[in-house]
Amino acid sequence: MLFWILVAVLTAVSAVVLLHPLLRGGTVLSAQRAGEAAVYRDQLQEVERDRASGLISADEAEYARAEIGRRLLAVSARGEDAAKPEGRPWRRRIAEVLVVALVPAIGLSLYLKIGSPDMPDQPLAARLAEPGNDMAILIAKVEAHLAGNPNDGKGWDLLAPIYFRTMRLDDAEAAYRNAIRLLGPSPERLSGLAETLLTDADGIVTEDARLAFEKAVALDGNNPRAKFYLALAMEQAGDRARAKVAFEELAAASPAGAPWLPLVNEHIARNGGTPVAAAEAPKAPGNPSAEDVAAAEAMSGGDRQQMIEGMVESLDARLKDDPNNFEGWTRLIRSYVVLDRREQAEEALRRGLAAFPASGKEGQQLVALGRELGLSGEGAQE
Amino acid sequence: MTRKQKRLAIIGGGMGFIVAAVLLVMFAFGQAVAYFYVPGDLGKANVQPGTRIRLGGLVETGSLKRGEGSTVTFTVTDTIATVPVRYTGILPDLFREGQGVVAEGTFAAGNTVFVADTVLAKHDETYMPKDVADRLKAQGVELSGKETIK
Amino acid sequence: MIIELGHFSLVLALAVAVVLSVIPLYGSRRRDTALMDLAPAGSVLLFLLVAASFAVLTYAHVVSDFSVLNVWQNSHSLVPLIYRLSGVWGNHEGSMLLWLLILVFFSALVAIFGRNLPDTLKVNVLVVQAWITTAFALFILLTSNPFARLSPAPGEGKDLNPVLQDLGLAIHPPLLYLGYVGFSVCFSFAVAALLEGRIDAAWARWVRPWTLAAWTCLTAGIAMGSYWAYYELGWGGWWFWDPVENASFMPWLAGTALLHSALVMEKREALKIWTLLLAILTFSLSLLGTFLVRSGVLTSVHAFATDPSRGVFILAILMIFIGGSLSLFAFRAPSLNAGGLFAPISREGALVLNNLILTVCTATVLIGTLYPLLLETLTGEKISVGAPFFNLTFGLLMIPLLVAVPFGPLLAWKRGDLLGALQRLYVAAGLSLVVALALYYRENGGPVLAILGMAMGLFLVFGAFVDLGGRAGAGKVSASVAWRRLKGLPRSAFGTALAHMGLGITVLGVVAVTTFQSEHVVEMKPGMTTEAGGYVLTFDGMREAKGPNFTEERGHFTVSRGGAAVADVWSSKRVYVAQRMPTTEAGILTFGLSQLYVSLGDHMDDGGIVVRVWWKPYILCIWGGALFMMAGGIVSLSDRRLRVGAPSRRSRPATPAMEPAE
Repeated sequence: MLFWILVAVLTAVSAVVLLHPLLRGGTVLSAQRAGEAAVYRDQLQEVERDRASGLISADEAEYARAEIGRRLLAVSARGEDAAKPEGRPWRRRIAEVLVVALVPAIGLSLYLKIGSPDMPDQPLAARLAEPGNDMAILIAKVEAHLAGNPNDGKGWDLLAPIYFRTMRLDDAEAAYRNAIRLLGPSPERLSGLAETLLTDADGIVTEDARLAFEKAVALDGNNPRAKFYLALAMEQAGDRARAKVAFEELAAASPAGAPWLPLVNEHIARNGGTPVAAAEAPKAPGNPSAEDVAAAEAMSGGDRQQMIEGMVESLDARLKDDPNNFEGWTRLIRSYVVLDRREQAEEALRRGLAAFPASGKEGQQLVALGRELGLSGEGAQE
Repeated sequence: MTRKQKRLAIIGGGMGFIVAAVLLVMFAFGQAVAYFYVPGDLGKANVQPGTRIRLGGLVETGSLKRGEGSTVTFTVTDTIATVPVRYTGILPDLFREGQGVVAEGTFAAGNTVFVADTVLAKHDETYMPKDVADRLKAQGVELSGKETIK
Repeated sequence: MIIELGHFSLVLALAVAVVLSVIPLYGSRRRDTALMDLAPAGSVLLFLLVAASFAVLTYAHVVSDFSVLNVWQNSHSLVPLIYRLSGVWGNHEGSMLLWLLILVFFSALVAIFGRNLPDTLKVNVLVVQAWITTAFALFILLTSNPFARLSPAPGEGKDLNPVLQDLGLAIHPPLLYLGYVGFSVCFSFAVAALLEGRIDAAWARWVRPWTLAAWTCLTAGIAMGSYWAYYELGWGGWWFWDPVENASFMPWLAGTALLHSALVMEKREALKIWTLLLAILTFSLSLLGTFLVRSGVLTSVHAFATDPSRGVFILAILMIFIGGSLSLFAFRAPSLNAGGLFAPISREGALVLNNLILTVCTATVLIGTLYPLLLETLTGEKISVGAPFFNLTFGLLMIPLLVAVPFGPLLAWKRGDLLGALQRLYVAAGLSLVVALALYYRENGGPVLAILGMAMGLFLVFGAFVDLGGRAGAGKVSASVAWRRLKGLPRSAFGTALAHMGLGITVLGVVAVTTFQSEHVVEMKPGMTTEAGGYVLTFDGMREAKGPNFTEERGHFTVSRGGAAVADVWSSKRVYVAQRMPTTEAGILTFGLSQLYVSLGDHMDDGGIVVRVWWKPYILCIWGGALFMMAGGIVSLSDRRLRVGAPSRRSRPATPAMEPAE
């Protein structure tokens, strides 16, 4: 409210400043030629000085004086252009109306179109003092803390999954490695690192990633995620027989209705096996999924989820501003899929395709990505 | 001199100076201008040894070698062709293997080694990374996302 | 809320500018003073609104409000306060807002200090200024809004380009813009005169202070930019003929020509049409410079094509203002009457020569800058037009001007005596040759042409003394009388002498550095020594150091001469934390007018480091000369006669000892 009052005051003051000369009715038109004549008179004096000091001869001075004199005469001859200043009330009324109408109209309409009247100021000091739910600031705080204390493993441990979820993969890899170095390996950190590596390699389980998964399994035999990717590594290496066995083992070891089962079954089928588990664990309508979701959530926690969403949104905003960032689009689309916000993922795909048309090489990659993630964007069907 | 002659003298002198300037500019365009090439262009371009050119491309990974003192050699590539470059001096802060670079200089006799007297890398004030990027794109070279060519 | 108020204030400024573009113009046509009075009041209001908006943007940078896109993109919480301030204009949006601020600042100055101007002329000048303001306010709001917001706000900024985190850069753009945009006033005067269809000798005097002020600021801005590039970029170069530099140099050349031709117009009412054209061209070149730098065409024609909104907008502004003013010129110029006559050998003749050479040189720089763009657009071929081209063309073309400068002030108006001038100058010429030879031997030789080059610079300096001495009547009257007469000379006479002297000093520095500088690139390990310019540098070793937002490796060098240590210097390589960007901070030691310049290169495998050492003899002359030129501008600006016609004029009785102008 205060803001709008100030806007109104500012507009009114501007209008009054502009109206003042109109209402005052104008001053007398100053002698138009006075200034000009003064200049010439000064020039005459100058010539006189030059002559007196002997810098120009009397002849030259005479000539110059004549020349300036002619200018002076011309000025007074033209006089005041005869036209007396005229003021017509109706003209002033129109000008007043124009000022009163135009200034607020242009000002407000343009501002409402491009301004963000509802956005408060957010000076950094105030945000740091009271971070509240400001996830960006929380991350920045941890980052700032780590810049000063790079050996605080807990900080890295906290940041790593956040970086990963927001697709800052290089940062995530560095954070995981630091956490592992400082706090020692744990199944979670190792699989997190491995997942970061494989995401960075566009879903290929690289040698580094495979080693990390293996270490994770070695530490904790009951780690379905790591086991899944190890099996996937075999599949990608072309070792279908061993991959099938590994997937089948995973399916057998998984609790009934585990959320990853459909995916595992798909891989079993792909490698020539029978998706046993799926048949054994029919989905009981309504009941198990809620628990599973909760289990999956336990890894992240509600807060973290919110934090991630904040980060994704800021990536989204950045892309809105600078759509010419291919990598950003792929990350955004993947992030939305990870967050299970498919509508937004599809929307992001559409926007990405607007920046990189499907006819181009990058556009095709986006289309392929959409297909891989099962998104239905306009461009994806092309 | 009559008034007319004076005016003619002024105008003639002025024209003479302008003509001289035009000739000088044309001469300088023939002499002092460097064309921009990427390694793949050089085969068809037939650049004479001693002609100043700008050579742009990526520094081939693993090609940077330090020689005597501050002389370095590296290879510039557009993935189609490569050109060895020799340079004496300090490489710019942002010179990296695998990244874009523009070298200005001439080919030594025999057209094998490019002797650069100026090497520009990304972010330097006079560097035009787009030159490299455009040409490389025209050659069908994909740049990996990490180059962030502006 | 503060930020949004700043945003609204800018929008409101646009609205006010629109009103000012129309109503006072109509008023001046109808001679309705009420409508005309809108212009001065509105111009001051415009300045206050834009200043408020600029202050708000500055506030956002100072408090690191990352919800402002511009702050997020160009700042970081670790950036020191001074660079948060300079970061306001260290980016596209902020620098355009600064451009606008300076534009309305000049409008306000005309409104406040233009009391001696005829009312209609003043109003028309302000109206033309309002047109430019409208165009640029629209440009900023529609394509480069510094008040765009981000929600949610990021927690940390992306940092200011480390190369820009430097004091030199902090003051360089404002000075440059004061010059660039200052010429808008000359442009507005020219267009206003054309609108009125009347122009005379007095016009030239009214424009003179604005031209002088703009020229002085531009000189300062260019010199500052050159010095900044010299010490910050770490290559030891001080002028690169880079398109961005050319963009500021062209208005300077044209502005210098304008300064001189306006003199002829003021004294003799000649060259009126030419002066008007120059005023238009000078500001057009400023606009062109803004376009070149801001549109992205310089990096590549393609960059322009991929993100055209800004470039096309400025191009439209460019075409409307340049095209419009030139059409108006073509339409009105024939109706302006011609002025006084003069002989080829005369002060006017010398100034015409000055104008001829300066405009041809401007054209050469323009062609060299635009030709690569043109060629790429037409044929796709990429060429680089760099220092070799400009040194060959511009360098050669300037020589006749440099030789002629000392003669100009010695020639009389209307009909001059070249022989007399020669007689007065031959001592100066001889002296310059002797001093040049002495310098040549002191620097142990070099190209013989260097002697002539240095003599040319020295000739300019001594010539300026001859001019002042002649005016004081030295040699003709007693010393005490001459001293009194010298003190009584109008300030503009000193201004001229100072500026010409400065030009000579700069020329001297340029010639000396190009011909005598020596460069050594050596690999050094701690304890090793190298030699440059008669000084011995001992490398003592490296050390790690940490700044507020960077880490650096510093190398320490001890400098000795004749076995005795005389100084020591640090040279470092920095890495800025936020962008992980390395920069080189050269170590610079000053000995008199010369400098020793040390910058570090790469580490070698065997523990050594590549060190580049330059000896730059007399390099400070380059910028010292610019200081003299600026001093000349300021002294001229303070000349009493520029205030003639002001109602508050104090009339002083002319003393016989007072001397002629120029």
